Amino acid sequence: QEEEEGPLRKKSSCFPHIATSQGMEPGQGELTPAFSLAGEWQGKMEEGKAYSPHGVFAHLEMLEARAHEADLKEEEATQQEEKLARLKARVQELTLQRDELQAKVDLQQKRQLEKEGVASDPAQPSAQAVLEWKIKRVKAMLQVFSLTGISGKLTKQGVCFCISTAYEGTYLDSYYLDLLTKPEVRILRHSIPIFIPLEQLAKKYLQTDIRRFLSVLSNHLNAYAARKYQADQLQEHFSDQIEGTLQTNSLCNLLVFNYNVPNKSKTFPFNVRLLYGDLCSSIPTKAPASLAEMAAAHSDLFCHVALHKAFRSFRNAGESVAGAP
Amino acid sequence: MDNSICQAYEDKIQSLEEEIKLLTEKYEDNQQESTFFSDEEILMSKKSFQREFWRESQGCESLSDLKAQLESLETDLSFLMKFTGIQFTSHSKKTVEKTRNRAVQKHRLSGNCHSLSFHLEFQLLEMQNKENVSVVVNDLSITMESGEESDVSKFVSSIEEHGNLLAFFRSLSSYAEWCEHRRCTFLHFKAKYPDVVTLPEGLLGDYIILRNSKHSGFELLVVWKIHIDEEGRTTPLLDLLTKVPEQVLEWKNPAIENAPAGFRSMLLLFGIEAAIENLIKVVSLEK
Repeated sequence: QEEEEGPLRKKSSCFPHIATSQGMEPGQGELTPAFSLAGEWQGKMEEGKAYSPHGVFAHLEMLEARAHEADLKEEEATQQEEKLARLKARVQELTLQRDELQAKVDLQQKRQLEKEGVASDPAQPSAQAVLEWKIKRVKAMLQVFSLTGISGKLTKQGVCFCISTAYEGTYLDSYYLDLLTKPEVRILRHSIPIFIPLEQLAKKYLQTDIRRFLSVLSNHLNAYAARKYQADQLQEHFSDQIEGTLQTNSLCNLLVFNYNVPNKSKTFPFNVRLLYGDLCSSIPTKAPASLAEMAAAHSDLFCHVALHKAFRSFRNAGESVAGAP
Repeated sequence: MDNSICQAYEDKIQSLEEEIKLLTEKYEDNQQESTFFSDEEILMSKKSFQREFWRESQGCESLSDLKAQLESLETDLSFLMKFTGIQFTSHSKKTVEKTRNRAVQKHRLSGNCHSLSFHLEFQLLEMQNKENVSVVVNDLSITMESGEESDVSKFVSSIEEHGNLLAFFRSLSSYAEWCEHRRCTFLHFKAKYPDVVTLPEGLLGDYIILRNSKHSGFELLVVWKIHIDEEGRTTPLLDLLTKVPEQVLEWKNPAIENAPAGFRSMLLLFGIEAAIENLIKVVSLEK
């Protein structure tokens, strides 16, 4: 409280004895305990024989500075107060809004549970509301199409297709293909990675059977996405069994890595080179692995089962061996 | 001290704003999902003319903008359905959970791909991670009209087990296209040679019988099965069965015994339509 009152007092009692006082001599007048101006003034006066201009002005400057500082602090304090008040008001406003919304949502849910019919408002819905509703529905349907693998939209010059990829239940990247349809079907632009043989496929199928073209392209893209996903999963979940890093090319059809399999408290190191000969498959065609009896079994496993699942089975096998009584 | 109070207020404001955003979305989702307007109502709305200037001054989209947007979306949708052969007849979606980083929706979807109808139910989980949104399918359940066939039901079980919605549609497309191709081929031959060709199981069956109306004891049965494996690869399998009177069997005519093998070679050399056409010509011969 002292701080609050202090600046106020300072302000009003600034230079009381220089400009505003009448018939008062320095040293007289009201003083607050924290304010020793008059005392200083008096001291200086007596010391420097009063009329030394440098002393006086220096003091004036100092007083001015202090007053200014006091001003600023006061302004800051009021600003702070105002800010707090504003924030508080905003919190109240938002809380009110939130509670209203919550009540609305609760009412909605209550109505749904009681199944008061499918109709929305008893009042006639506006044309705008109806159209907006329908638009949302059509958009939802289009979104479902993207789950099927091929989606798109018509453009002024043709069609822009969107090919989605997925591995089992997880959707991965989507790729775009902007096609012109007149005078003949051509690719305007695309986001297909460069290592997918787009030109070859386009040459073979684009003019005669667009559906087939998209289907084959989708096979390539999905297989690539699946291989990449498997490699990522391997690195993410089985990093303790992998020695060093996984080496792969951008098409992810060649994977080389070192791994070890724990077996009866010993670990066997292997190096394997997975070759995916079929670009439309996510299972390797050749998997020569070096060392030991297990190599042939692993090779075989790699060529039949998805990569990260093969590793899962190693882990399970290792655990079951270790835990065998 | 003041600063920490301010910060506390600001944090509270931010959390309230997020709550409001989520609640608004929840309210709108619920509204959307529990409302239904019939096609007539939609048509009427498209035709209605409201005071557009009032709307625009309110900052809302004008009615004509909405109409244009709806038409463009509907055109895209009907193009996709025609192009892919996948028609969705009904779709309902319910938001089960929605937080800042996570949304779960339950979908029910019915439709058909060419002549094969399906009904799907699944959950879609959308999660916001640092770079992008991940979408995962859970709890997939599929019912197919032609689900009695063992290979189709094995395929469907494998899809359901892995939640492989995308693979389902891709495989379904190629399977349905083959079925459609078979149906069209049967229809073509039935129309061209109505006396020779019969379809005991109709156009959607998997075999046709070729017989010469004059020599009714002799029949050629062309079986055309379309097989789908667990991974969704479709393979057409064609074969020929001959039905001859017992006396003819005793003659041990090599032509009849070799007929199936001959048919298979013809398939490889000339394709399905030409091979069947040749068989029909053979059967039609006055011999």
